[in-house]
Amino acid sequence: MLGGKNVKVKIDRDLYDRLRKVSDVAGYATTEEFVAHVLEKEMLHFEDAGSDDDIRNKLKGLGYIS
Amino acid sequence: MFEFLKRVFRRQPGEPIVVVSGLPRSGTSMLMKMLESGGMEILSDSERAADIDNPKGYFEYGRIKDLEKETDKSYIREGRGKVLKVISFLIKDLPDDNDYRVIFMRRDLDEVLASQNKMIHRLGTTDTTATEAAMKEAYRNDIVRTRLLCRDRPNFELIEIGYKPTIENPAPTARSVNAFVGGHLNEAAMREAVDGSLYRNRGKS
Repeated sequence: MLGGKNVKVKIDRDLYDRLRKVSDVAGYATTEEFVAHVLEKEMLHFEDAGSDDDIRNKLKGLGYIS
Repeated sequence: MFEFLKRVFRRQPGEPIVVVSGLPRSGTSMLMKMLESGGMEILSDSERAADIDNPKGYFEYGRIKDLEKETDKSYIREGRGKVLKVISFLIKDLPDDNDYRVIFMRRDLDEVLASQNKMIHRLGTTDTTATEAAMKEAYRNDIVRTRLLCRDRPNFELIEIGYKPTIENPAPTARSVNAFVGGHLNEAAMREAVDGSLYRNRGKS
């Protein structure tokens, strides 16, 4: 099954246990679903500059964007 | 494969545009001054005059401020073979019909924010309501975004230059930058252009 849709990522056992607990309480169907959701959200910080109003407001104040 | 060939034959990027980038107050004007002293032509309109925050000038091209909103970006081609200052937040908005050599300035984030806050205070403009910690996080993300973008787009090359190491010893920076842009600059003049007295917002370390 080379090139399958899913891949494995190794993480610390203690972290996994914490993730499993929170995903249960938060109502996720699986820990994997929770982890994927958290990572998707976190990736937006790096991939979507347009959403960063803090930077935009700071740059306007400094006169670097209009 | 077809898309790749199409892109290769469609683009006629000419000479690369040297882009000096980084967060505002990270030493971009210092690097611009080094490049100008070394013999490179700057794409600038001198709209923003030298002031207490940048006594040697800003080296900016005013229209760049609208880069995020403008649809016609063909004027960027004027920068081919020249140097253009573009803050890191706007790198994503550079058009793909040019090749870019990005010189990315890095400076301690506490120093950057301290300098920015002083500048905003002097300008009397509106600041963000974000906390210092939130701004540091936002800027860290901005730096990562710039690195990712330069890695993903084939017409971008990136070199990172430290502000503090350059102030302390300009020679390695002059050498690296000169090699990065083609090796035709006057490195002695580049070194001379660095004025350590302008390093006013120093971190604790």
